[in-house]
Amino acid sequence: MKLLQNKVAELFKNGTINLMIGFKNALNKQVVPCFIENSSQAEQLIYTADCKNNLSVYLHKPEVKKIKKVGIIGNIATLRSLIQLTSENQLWDIEQTILTVNEKDEIILFKNMREVETYVQTYFPENHTEEDKKLLEYIDSLPREERWKYWMEQFSTCIKCYACRAVCPMCYCTQCTVECNQPQWIKISSETTGNLEWHIMRAMHLAGRCIECGECGRVCPVGIPIHLLTTKMNQELFKEFATRPGFSLKGEYAMNTFKPEDKEGFIK
Amino acid sequence: MEIKTINTTNISTFFNQLVQSGKIVIAPVLKKSGKIFFERVQSYNQIETDYIQTAFSAKSVVFPKVEELFSYSKTTDNFETKQSLSDIPETVVWGLRPCDSAAFNYMTRFFMDENPDIYFATRKERTTLIAISCAKSDEACFCTSVGLDPGKTKGSDIQLTLMGNEYYVEVITEKGLSAIKTSESLFTSSTEKSKEKYLAEPTTKFSIEEIKEKMQNAYDNVAWGQESMGCVGCGACAFACPTCTCFDIQDEGTGENGKRIRCWDACGFSQFTKHASGHNPKPNQTARRRQRLLHKFKYSVENIGMVSCVGCGRCIRICPAHLNIFENILNVTKA
Repeated sequence: MKLLQNKVAELFKNGTINLMIGFKNALNKQVVPCFIENSSQAEQLIYTADCKNNLSVYLHKPEVKKIKKVGIIGNIATLRSLIQLTSENQLWDIEQTILTVNEKDEIILFKNMREVETYVQTYFPENHTEEDKKLLEYIDSLPREERWKYWMEQFSTCIKCYACRAVCPMCYCTQCTVECNQPQWIKISSETTGNLEWHIMRAMHLAGRCIECGECGRVCPVGIPIHLLTTKMNQELFKEFATRPGFSLKGEYAMNTFKPEDKEGFIK
Repeated sequence: MEIKTINTTNISTFFNQLVQSGKIVIAPVLKKSGKIFFERVQSYNQIETDYIQTAFSAKSVVFPKVEELFSYSKTTDNFETKQSLSDIPETVVWGLRPCDSAAFNYMTRFFMDENPDIYFATRKERTTLIAISCAKSDEACFCTSVGLDPGKTKGSDIQLTLMGNEYYVEVITEKGLSAIKTSESLFTSSTEKSKEKYLAEPTTKFSIEEIKEKMQNAYDNVAWGQESMGCVGCGACAFACPTCTCFDIQDEGTGENGKRIRCWDACGFSQFTKHASGHNPKPNQTARRRQRLLHKFKYSVENIGMVSCVGCGRCIRICPAHLNIFENILNVTKA
């Protein structure tokens, strides 16, 4: 812990960063995201297995962008998001300094995104929890009608708080389709059809871009396992196109890339 | 007020008799996700009895997440609107906490004080609140800091407190009396007893008078920026909150037929204060978070004369970024 705090303090002192996004213990001892503004605050920083939030979502905040030189302590979710966001050219206006702590408690300061890519590919080839795999297998095993019923029941409890959207680093549009009211594409009310429309739209926009951090499912106040929708779509896309979001800086986005050797001929 | 007792076997009979009386009974239910929600139940064995707090409050009974105000339809020579107030059922909310009952008090002030809201009024009129005092609390609970306590009866029609193997029953209102009327034989008359040693003792504490005082000049405190940095701008806290009453009126339908509805809204959303011109007086999450906290601890004191936070801790437990209203308040009123 001390090593991390000293490293961050040093980054402030030599002018590399003006803000560090990391984790701390709140008054109630809960692990919470924190925003360190100078070297003396660095002693608040911690890094443990409980540091689960995907911090990359904060890089979209205007308050953070304004600061320009921003450090971020990356857990695996954050690192994979940074790879995907870089490949989508979303981090051009921020000078990010990326740190992580490996399992030997060593501090790794990445020199560039290429190093992040290598680190993720080397140490984190797998990212599904056993619990998710089991639930996904269960949903897959249901007959089509039952599966539909399962999701409709889940969606009926949605309250449209949009926490799933708010914590998703890939949901970075400044204006979302749900906020468009001329025409009103998606109903404001949180009733079953409107909820279904929202979740289908969300999943479609993230298909092949979702880095599967599971934050949307973790934060859902009513407990809908919505992260499984995009996880499933990713599996399908991997089968068809062998793309894995958040693993490569090449940014091969299956849904908007065309190759002459593609099986489908409709575009030719 | 009448004081009675009922043993733990009879409590389930009482509950089931409420269901059989034809009323809709809403009670805490443990879901597969591990979260506890208020839901319509048919029998006592469906309900969860070991819980500190439900994930969401019971406010949707009087202020639904989507409420139809009226529907309309047009034919070639006729235009009709229809209000369905008469369909609102008699409802019993079982097992809400004293903080939640107090929140119903606040909502009544909000919806009824100046321009009485007929939808709220009708629902409230047909709702009976049977609260259960808290025997346990966690670190998110802070009711004792906002003038309440785990045994407070404010807002409840009936309040149950588990004392050993029997419930101490305080029947507070006429509605409460009528709810036990058909089950009278299950109860035993009793005298007033002290509930104190059966109640939880929340450990999280601040002085509300000091906070109210300091909130007066807190608007310009630079700490708001730091305190709201983690806020991701969703509506989870407002939707889980038992006193958040903001709503959005929407029309759904076509020129031929449709309905006007009232939906929950939240001050954390960037669109919440956005003007038609494009100008947004609350342009960032700092301003939005500040609005939320000042509303609870300053504006509602000025407007209604009461703090509009009951210390239930739901916003703390639900926040995706683990923002803590309690910690926020302490930090923005420091120095």
